[in-house]
Amino acid sequence: MTVLSLPETLDLKASGPLKAAFLERRGDAVEVDAGSVRRLGGLCLQVLLAAKTAWAADGKSFSIRAPSEAFVETTRLFGAEGALLSADTHGVQS
Amino acid sequence: MDELEAIKVTFFQECEELLADLEGGLLAMQDGNDDGDTVNAVFRAVHSIKGGAGAFGLEPLVRFAHVFETLLDAVRSNEVPSTPDLVATLLRASDVLADHVSSARGLGVVDEAVSAAMAAELKACTDPNAAPAPVAAAPVVEAPAFEAVSAAPAEVLIGADDALDDDDLGFDFQPMTITIDEQAADVAAAVGNVWTVSIRPKSDLYRKANETALLLRELARLGPIEAALDASAIPPLDQLDAEAAYATWTVRLETEEDENAIREVFEFVDGDCDLEITRGEALSPDAALAALLAGPAPAAVEAAPEPVVVTEAPVEIKAAPEPVAAAPVVEAAPAPVAAPVAPAPVAAAPAAPAAAKTQQIDVPGPGQSVIRVDPERIDRLIDLVGELVINQAMLAQRVGEYGIAPSSNLAMGLDELEQLTREIQDSVMAIRAQPVKSVFQRMPRLVREVASMTGKQARLVMDGENTEVDKTVIERLSDPITHMLRNAIDHGLESPEERKAAGKNPEGVVKLAALHRSGRIVIEVSDDGKGINRERVHSIAIKKGLISPELQLTDEEIDNLIFLPGFSTADKISDVSGRGVGMDVVKRSVQALGGRISITSRPGQGSTFTLSLPLTLAVLDGMVVDVAGETLVVPLAAIVESLRPKPEEVRPLGPVGSVLAVRDSFVPLIDVGLTLGYREASPPPTEGVVLLVEGEDGSRAALVADAIHGQRQVVIKSLEQNYQQVDGVAAATILGDGRVALILDVDAVISLRRREPPRPVEPTLIAAE
Repeated sequence: MTVLSLPETLDLKASGPLKAAFLERRGDAVEVDAGSVRRLGGLCLQVLLAAKTAWAADGKSFSIRAPSEAFVETTRLFGAEGALLSADTHGVQS
Repeated sequence: MDELEAIKVTFFQECEELLADLEGGLLAMQDGNDDGDTVNAVFRAVHSIKGGAGAFGLEPLVRFAHVFETLLDAVRSNEVPSTPDLVATLLRASDVLADHVSSARGLGVVDEAVSAAMAAELKACTDPNAAPAPVAAAPVVEAPAFEAVSAAPAEVLIGADDALDDDDLGFDFQPMTITIDEQAADVAAAVGNVWTVSIRPKSDLYRKANETALLLRELARLGPIEAALDASAIPPLDQLDAEAAYATWTVRLETEEDENAIREVFEFVDGDCDLEITRGEALSPDAALAALLAGPAPAAVEAAPEPVVVTEAPVEIKAAPEPVAAAPVVEAAPAPVAAPVAPAPVAAAPAAPAAAKTQQIDVPGPGQSVIRVDPERIDRLIDLVGELVINQAMLAQRVGEYGIAPSSNLAMGLDELEQLTREIQDSVMAIRAQPVKSVFQRMPRLVREVASMTGKQARLVMDGENTEVDKTVIERLSDPITHMLRNAIDHGLESPEERKAAGKNPEGVVKLAALHRSGRIVIEVSDDGKGINRERVHSIAIKKGLISPELQLTDEEIDNLIFLPGFSTADKISDVSGRGVGMDVVKRSVQALGGRISITSRPGQGSTFTLSLPLTLAVLDGMVVDVAGETLVVPLAAIVESLRPKPEEVRPLGPVGSVLAVRDSFVPLIDVGLTLGYREASPPPTEGVVLLVEGEDGSRAALVADAIHGQRQVVIKSLEQNYQQVDGVAAATILGDGRVALILDVDAVISLRRREPPRPVEPTLIAAE
């Protein structure tokens, strides 16, 4: 189990590094710490969704830990709540 | 902040080019060339301006460009036929668009009334059915014309689209089914107020630092929203381009606002985001329809807007690491409705790369083949190459001094070096060479404006727009050409009535041409007007004391009087030409460039101004001569031949002057040393050499020098910039031995001689250090 801590701002500049960070952890169960996220953009949302799908395909656990209010709110705004913050998400504090 | 400013500067540079493309395309359409490519290019130009302007929040520009673009889109799809009248309207609209760009740049202000009227006109052209409304509305807004009052009340009300008035005057509106439809929709909205907004961001949206989350948030301000995400187009993580847009959204929005308010949310991402706004729920029939469309249609749907995107943002091409990156964008489009069905993306996938490939072939990417380089870097390079040329010449001279045989390896190596240096110089100069098009393209507008201001009908015919000339020359061509064109229309062309009376076409033709002639660029501005009124010019010159009344002048000399300082047809100052800038100023600025200007005129048939300029202000092929111990360079382009005169060929003329018999004609002998003040008395011409030169006006003269050193290419160093202008001298150069030599201005030397009758010469301080 590795932990991936998301930065405060998940915008255009963050999407490339975020993808790279996930690729590095491929094959391991991952816990995504979304506690300090203040801004979530469309590009990083795509990376998160793709990562979640990839982990599911690998049969490894993918969880989002303690997402910040902003993270949850923006995910809802995006209509991605179901896809990203679904049941197997652990420790959601909304 | 600086970065943004820099992007903005680039945007305005691009605007310049796009406006030029726009005008060029419209002019091609005017000439009957209205094929799809031309119309598309015109559309793209306006679209790209709008797109860029949106990114910077330049609202008035975006608004006008949008109306303009809408009409062009209709022309492009053949909904609106391209007629000469329409193209004329489009040309005027392009002028207004250019004003908006200038205004956004902080250069000048847009005349709002003109802009609004133009926008109304464009709207009327776009939708001929709706024409009565804007057309009737326009005069009401702009200038309350009497006719509008009696003729238009009903129509104006249609334009207002007001339900209350509709009730009052219901019978008037029976045919307006559209209005009723909208009303019906209004009723429906009153109940539901539900909209379905389908958002398909393109990669550019993110790249321009826009954000879908913000768009959704803005939508949420209009009313409660519910976004359905379609993530089906997102590729597997390892194939995902982190900066490309894949996800799309379908948003259900409940709002009291109208469609415009919803569209406004997307105003700044226009072009970077495919948008569909429909009234009502995205119910199953709609969804089914959308799903149906999503299958077979993606290529067709995407084909049209996609090339536009690529053209609009050349940056995108550079940023995209590989063609595959473009594919997902296309791929993302086919599923506008949240469809958790797996087969959809699979089906779309094979089509997408193909579509992407076609795109890349169709649009080679105008940005790709062009590199933007800071001109200063090129100038620096040219300077350095200039130094290289000088250095090479020095080296050759040193080697010559050692008496090394021309067949030796060293001498041959030097020859090769010289050739290489020349090639490098030519290539470097070619980098800075530009077609005169950039200057010419500003002129059609000028002609339109001047013609309408003077009440004349003028058609501009341009020729040789692709003639290339050094950038340093181009920059300084604009003013003289502008002035000559103004002059041609204002003073050259007659009024339509006069022209008809003279049996001419009421529309005058002004021709602007550029061509290369013997190593110079020649710009000709001619008109088919009345020609120069020589009697009047002559009498004005006498009245102003510019010439003495008893002087007998040839026609050509009279024509050239208009270049005299202080000559202005002051009894007829017009808005256009009489702005205090006389032809003498034009002549001086042209001369400062090492150029010449002349005029030929035929009464009743028109006049031609000929401007001749060096192709570059950087290098020159010259003959190095010795005069009274000074080394001078005579431009090779001016020299016809050189000879050593025999005593019997020199004939005295008057007390001091003499002429030289060359074959069957006599040519005035001019001692350069005497004219420039190097010496006070001429040695006999037979002791020196004579360079037979030809001035720009075709007049010949024989310049006397003491000896000829040879022919060589020299690097021009401006005398004006480093010292001051000197009569008879065009510029200076540095020779191989490191000495400064002056470059002779042949025409000036000839005219110096003409103007000043021989008299004791006062020593002047012209000397090379």
